[in-house]
Amino acid sequence: MNTVTYSNETVINFLNNDVVAIQIQFDFKPLATRYNLQWTPTIIVLDSKGKEYSRTVGYISPEEFIPTILLGIGKAFMEQEKYNNAINTFKKLIDNYPKSKATPEAIYYYGVCGYKNTHNPSHLKTSYELLKNNFPDNEWTLRAEPYQLL
Amino acid sequence: MSNYVKWEKDFDTALERAKRESKFIVLDFFNPY
Repeated sequence: MNTVTYSNETVINFLNNDVVAIQIQFDFKPLATRYNLQWTPTIIVLDSKGKEYSRTVGYISPEEFIPTILLGIGKAFMEQEKYNNAINTFKKLIDNYPKSKATPEAIYYYGVCGYKNTHNPSHLKTSYELLKNNFPDNEWTLRAEPYQLL
Repeated sequence: MSNYVKWEKDFDTALERAKRESKFIVLDFFNPY
């Protein structure tokens, strides 16, 4: 990660400006125990109280790093019921990283947050249609399939 | 623009910064060996 992903200028800029980045050695106690560390690299998205919202294990390429973290941040906002923030974060991911592996899940939750924010089911249907047209074989398209009936 | 990641090294400092700057934390557990 250090030699490839964390040497990428775009990733450096993101980590220095958009989030608080902290690197901890895998055997550092009590944090490794607190977060039940099993393998490295493990990258976790936390809030300012240390609450975990998402984690990813294994190498992430520079191209996938930012969308992966944005997906985690969007899901964190969703869990906090800050739906407008979640929608904006998912939209940033979808617009800026349309080919990322994280994008189908972001489209799915973009629709979910749109629905939770307005109680208008059209958001779910729109997400399904976006998924069907852009990622026809993706598992998130399958998960959204019932929304075509709305 | 910096050409390296300015990692926080202290967890409490990271929590305080996250609160002050209204940001999420990206915690990377790494193996230096």
